[in-house]
Amino acid sequence: MRNKIAVIAQHADNRIDPVTYEAVSCALELCAGETSCIQIIVPGDRVEKVAQEISGETGIDTIALENELLKIYNAEAYTSALVTFFRQRAPGYILIPHTSVGYDFAPLLAIKLEASCITAVKQVNGSDGTTAFVHEVFDGRLYAEVVSKTKTTVITIQPGAWEPLGRQPGKSGIVETRNVTVNPGKTRTIAFRQSDYQGAALANSEVIVSAGRGIGKKENLSLIYEVAKLFPRSALGCSRAVCDAGWLEYSHQVGITGSTVSPKLYFAIGISGAVQHITGIKGAQVIVAVNSDPAARFFTIADYCIVEDLTQFIPTLVEEFKKKYGSFSK
Amino acid sequence: MKILVCVKQVSVPGTYPAADKPPPGFRINSYDEYALEEALLLKERIEKTTVHAVSAGPERVTAVIKRAMEMGADQGMHIRYEQEEQLTPYQVATLIASYARDRQYDIILTGVMADDDMQMQTGQMIAGILGYPYASSVVSHEIREGRTMYVERECDARQRQCLEIEMPCVLTIQSGINRPRYPSLSNILRAKQQKIESINALDLPEARETEVRLFSPGIKPKGTILQGTRREKAVQLLEILHEKALL
Repeated sequence: MRNKIAVIAQHADNRIDPVTYEAVSCALELCAGETSCIQIIVPGDRVEKVAQEISGETGIDTIALENELLKIYNAEAYTSALVTFFRQRAPGYILIPHTSVGYDFAPLLAIKLEASCITAVKQVNGSDGTTAFVHEVFDGRLYAEVVSKTKTTVITIQPGAWEPLGRQPGKSGIVETRNVTVNPGKTRTIAFRQSDYQGAALANSEVIVSAGRGIGKKENLSLIYEVAKLFPRSALGCSRAVCDAGWLEYSHQVGITGSTVSPKLYFAIGISGAVQHITGIKGAQVIVAVNSDPAARFFTIADYCIVEDLTQFIPTLVEEFKKKYGSFSK
Repeated sequence: MKILVCVKQVSVPGTYPAADKPPPGFRINSYDEYALEEALLLKERIEKTTVHAVSAGPERVTAVIKRAMEMGADQGMHIRYEQEEQLTPYQVATLIASYARDRQYDIILTGVMADDDMQMQTGQMIAGILGYPYASSVVSHEIREGRTMYVERECDARQRQCLEIEMPCVLTIQSGINRPRYPSLSNILRAKQQKIESINALDLPEARETEVRLFSPGIKPKGTILQGTRREKAVQLLEILHEKALL
């Protein structure tokens, strides 16, 4: 008999996060397309509609796991509900989207279920009956392949690693609502709020010129501004490392925890390409990358790759621009 | 107030060449420096606060405990086990939890993840084993009346989760929350004098997962690599951007 797989849906305010469907795709890969092995769980308060929507999309059995303490996400309450639910018989795999919610509670769930825990999984490799899970290490310079040794394995799924499962017409799953007891725990979520750093300029920009730690020092930002000036409407972006170093405010941060962007042009300078950054620019139409390191991972997603030192390349680019267009466009 | 900061020794990023070769050097996990700095900031604000730094591993990890003391930790604790292979987050969490269990720490801090395995698990697992509440990816916090803390977690899409959490608790600290300090001369001298407390790791639990392979994903550029001199590349790029009506 095949291993049962549970997928924990990610949702808030009655909206389903599409990473849920990516996790379902991973589940389907793990059970070779056998949907009857999969169960989707929607923890929350009055989430039957959400469960119906997920089941309607995927054709997979879905459970609304309800308690009023689950109205707003809280690691202890979520874990308590899931532990109660799984106590009878824990599935072989519990798949959770690797989001700021998922990676928060997954390790606790694993402790409570005496399960192994493998996070930020982006690939499943199977051979000789063993299933190995691949995740990035050392900033993605290397990948690690990990095998679980426990009956139950808690896995978080890296956003963007699987294509979201599209609508499955003609299939239907059973939707069930279950009330579950929840231990309130010692944390109380007061609210989710927007951070003070807003990225509106980034979200609406057609062109984003973005700097990474590879620019070397804060002073080199002036070169990035030079590039931004070449475009009539551009916004300045950057990687998390640039904000952490204090070179730019977090309002410029592009990535999953910053702004998710979809400009016509994303012009990346000195960005190594951390997965959380790359996932945030998936919607970009054209990606240009300038980096002196030919092994920069950003080149694996760029449409046009320029292996040059920015301090030399950018002045040349600006010079050629002036030759061609006479002056700055902005 | 008693604060425990968990510090991990990681291979020097970017120089770890191959799975079968020993790493050329080690350093303190960069995220743990942010955690340590938060502890030191609390110590500066709250009287009678002591900061302990703990690490589990073979003799070599005392280097990062020393580093933490040089930055300002009052004491260093070494949970010793003589085995070169990496422990899993669960194993480390078990060792640290059993060390911390009867030592009345009010707050246990870790970095949000490790530079090497990037798993984001150890802090939550320490909390889970001890039965403490926790918050991961913390970007701000303050101690409120009584034994509670107000904490903000960094969430996706510029959201923040605001929560109240009872002490004792575990916080995993996100990067960028502060600027970790450099060791001061006086702390370097003090750390030199001071002994690191060492205890032998007992009852190391069996790992629940094993790393079977470490490999390079390889860099396969998806797009066009512009060729020629620097100037030729600049000209080509401007042409491409022009053709695509981006300039």
